[in-house]
Amino acid sequence: MNAKRSITAAVAAVATALVIAVLADGDTRDRFLSGEGVAQGSLIAAIALGVVLTFRGSGVVNFANGAIAMYVAYVYAGLRAAGDLFLPPLPNPLALVEGVVHWFQADDALDLPDWPTSISFAGELGFWPALVLSLVFCVLFGLLIHLFVFRPLRNAPILAKVVASVGLFLLLQSIVVRRFATNPRTLRPLPFVGKEQVDLGVLRITEEALFVTVLVVAFTVALWAVFRYTRFGLATRAAAENERGAIVLGYSPDLLAGVNWVLATTISGLLGIFVASIQSTVDPLVLPALIVPALTAALVGGFRSFAVTTVAAFLLGMQQPLITYLGVNHDWFPRAGSQPIPGVHLLIPLVVIVAALFLRGDALPERGAVSLGRMPLSPTPPAWALRVGGPLLAAATAVCGLVLFTPSFRGALANSLIGVIICLSVVVITGFVGQISLAQMAFAGFAAFAVSKLSSEHGWPFPLPILAGATVALVAGMVVALPALRVRGVNLAIITFAAAVAVHDAVFRNPSVSDPLYGAPVDTPEWINPNRSTRVIKVLWFELGDGKLPNPYTAMFCLVAAVVLCYGVANLRRSTTGRQFLAVRSNERAAAAAGVNVGATKIAAFAVSAFIAGVGGAVIAYRFGGATPDRYTYLQSLVLFAFAYLGGISSVAGAIVGGCLVTGGIVWTFLSNVVGIPGEFTLLLGGLGLILTAVQNPDGIAGRVRSDALRLLGRRRPTAADAEVAEPPAHREVLA
Amino acid sequence: MSGRPGGDVLLETTSLSVTFGGLQALADLDLTVGEGQIVGLIGPNGAGKTTFIDAVTGFVPSGGGVTFRGRPIEGAPAHRRQRLGLGRTWQSLELFDDLTVRDNLRVAAERQSARGFLLDLVHPGRGRDEAGVDFALDVLDLAGLADRLPTEISQGQRKLVGAARALAARPRLICMDEPAAGLDTTESHELADDVRRIRDAGITILMVEHDMGLVLGVCDYLYCIEFGVKIAEGTPAEIVSDARVVAAYLGAAGRDRVDVGGLDVGGPEIGGLDVGGNGAGDG
Repeated sequence: MNAKRSITAAVAAVATALVIAVLADGDTRDRFLSGEGVAQGSLIAAIALGVVLTFRGSGVVNFANGAIAMYVAYVYAGLRAAGDLFLPPLPNPLALVEGVVHWFQADDALDLPDWPTSISFAGELGFWPALVLSLVFCVLFGLLIHLFVFRPLRNAPILAKVVASVGLFLLLQSIVVRRFATNPRTLRPLPFVGKEQVDLGVLRITEEALFVTVLVVAFTVALWAVFRYTRFGLATRAAAENERGAIVLGYSPDLLAGVNWVLATTISGLLGIFVASIQSTVDPLVLPALIVPALTAALVGGFRSFAVTTVAAFLLGMQQPLITYLGVNHDWFPRAGSQPIPGVHLLIPLVVIVAALFLRGDALPERGAVSLGRMPLSPTPPAWALRVGGPLLAAATAVCGLVLFTPSFRGALANSLIGVIICLSVVVITGFVGQISLAQMAFAGFAAFAVSKLSSEHGWPFPLPILAGATVALVAGMVVALPALRVRGVNLAIITFAAAVAVHDAVFRNPSVSDPLYGAPVDTPEWINPNRSTRVIKVLWFELGDGKLPNPYTAMFCLVAAVVLCYGVANLRRSTTGRQFLAVRSNERAAAAAGVNVGATKIAAFAVSAFIAGVGGAVIAYRFGGATPDRYTYLQSLVLFAFAYLGGISSVAGAIVGGCLVTGGIVWTFLSNVVGIPGEFTLLLGGLGLILTAVQNPDGIAGRVRSDALRLLGRRRPTAADAEVAEPPAHREVLA
Repeated sequence: MSGRPGGDVLLETTSLSVTFGGLQALADLDLTVGEGQIVGLIGPNGAGKTTFIDAVTGFVPSGGGVTFRGRPIEGAPAHRRQRLGLGRTWQSLELFDDLTVRDNLRVAAERQSARGFLLDLVHPGRGRDEAGVDFALDVLDLAGLADRLPTEISQGQRKLVGAARALAARPRLICMDEPAAGLDTTESHELADDVRRIRDAGITILMVEHDMGLVLGVCDYLYCIEFGVKIAEGTPAEIVSDARVVAAYLGAAGRDRVDVGGLDVGGPEIGGLDVGGNGAGDG
């Protein structure tokens, strides 16, 4: 206890010394106390305050809060510019008709009616009407999220809540991308504050940035006062401690959670609008990603203190211009070639998160909920699936890929098989062991860039770089496993999320790792080279290969890797190790009492999972003939996590279903080529499906199919969904 | 420590202490369990009984010494103590709900090595030793439930599975945390038989229990603690007549009923209240 306190004091002292050192030097002080940095800090603070509010109100760590602020800013921008409230795009059901028509007549474009795209409020709106309407939208939006997403999940395991907020993130972002594309949208300046510089002695800042800063501070003080002095605040705190206690005292935890959701959405939305107006643009990528520094600030504040959270958020915002300045102007700054290495300002939140979690232990107190639902069911793979089902499926896939599929489906098959591999890695770490990792594509990226170095610079022959790359990923996985020994649940999700963001910028986009223009080349053997059309081989009376791109053997290469890994994971689940994994997922202390070394088990699971992800990353590199950073972003990690959960996160079958669902995979290629639902809907429907899966069907598609099949066969077993209805016996005993 | 029956010392604690923040949950507790005994640990709610099991099995940091099979184990992590032959059950069961009953037992019975871990990827079912699992299923007569999930069976059966999981590793000593909580009188009688069968299979038992009928019926030796301090020890007959135990725990009613029935105690005043109390305080 005392050692911990002295370490905390030491860290605080070092941080203070750093701040003083920065302030002592005139140059660095000007960069640190820049209007730009302060404005960024207030935006981070706005998102972080919403995160803390939501957590205190409902126990949910909302990864989507940045996306919510972005969405509201888009709503406001639409209202202000044209008086239009845009509606979420949906696939046109009439496209089915069009699709069928296209089977028969090729080029006739039908003019079919589509969904309305917006509700119009008679032309351009003034600032105040647009703001008020946006705030009304915020209130409804917060209520909607609470009622339809997180209220049904109030007794669900943490995993389901993380999944739902990731789903919300993807859904909101993809709605905006589908409607407005990724290019920034301009906003008009705020009418009541100007852009003139104000000299505050130590700080020169524009009027509008000063206004937003004051507003954020005012909100912080107000929230602090509300939680400290009002009955509402008291009740929320009571409910967070013990929901049953709050019920007994006559408060509805649901109502409290709902009010807090509305407050959080409104505050984040309002400040999102203001800061976007100051920066005069908003785009669907930057704001949602600010959730990383926002979560960092919230963690520093222990997900409790509004004041500490706000201060940390400002510091995190203000360090960015300073780091950029140091990188450009100081020789000691780490460089790659002649450029300062990128992404250092993103490494700082990661370091702060790791330090905060280590010093605090588990930063997030487990909420005193009445009961917790079950994790997705993880059945032992039956013998018939391994002996008959697997080989048949693999053979059928090979026949499809080599003989039956058209070129576009061959590409889709390769994408899906890669998806299967990444989903498998999620199944091992999250499905089997219950550790939420949002950095799987970062592990894949480590392997991919290692493959590039080994194959093209060192000339290693073909299969070796895959193993070496996957081993690099394995080491990265074991490094990530170290914090997992101390932190669990959503804390681990936050660490891995921050790591995925930082690694992408600081490592993968490092010019010495990957050329900014051309990426990192991979020396691909001819037979799997995707850009080589195969010869047509005649076997008896039928022809193998159609001489077109892509090379069908690329998909066969992916198939071999996927099949080997599927069998490895299925075997793992059937083995001693698999049972120990599930024991740890189910109950860590009971596992320890049963002789399971929980720490070693987690490290092993991370190692296996990262190795699999690494093989996936290497396969991606070979499949595309090179590694580019954009395939290994944090967003890709989230997306693949989403599809793994959608397919069924705790079984090999689920990973196979998840792989079919990935962007550019079999299912979407079918939907866009045959049915006529464009591929841009992948993430939109994927995000929506993820939320629905989290709420309605935690076993995923594969789990649902399995339980339905068992029901038909008359051998019914309860699913996780049933367990939520029937309270677990342990709690019945308590209530008796 | 005189007058205690039994053979060699299997478990011994010396000045075992546990503090939670400023609260002294256990203070300088000396306790000995001899090979082949059934030892009971009794005391009112909040006396520190479960904390004692937690400290002995490695789930709370403790001061003082714990010696098991002649070896000091106070610094060892929980999983290593289990592998030395120190098993435990939980009052709240803590079964692995995702695994079948047999797999629950296998987790406790199977050891894992680095080499075994790699072999698991290619050949998962190799050379499986089911002796411990079958032994546990056999002792508690659970073979019929082996392929069910814990969520599909009754609460009484779940309690037996919890005990079976501890037995599957063929421990030398098993610490049972309130095995009779929530059971009715008939089930409690059956449990007494189960406990004796476990002992007859060569496993020593340390039992925390409120059901005085069960405790007095099966235990060879009893310790009584209050507020983390030992207030009495002795044979069941000595304990029920100990003035401090009666005052602190059994109360006049309890004493009367013990005198009358011997087996038909553990009435609702004690056992019933405890179910809720410990459930909420657990963890």
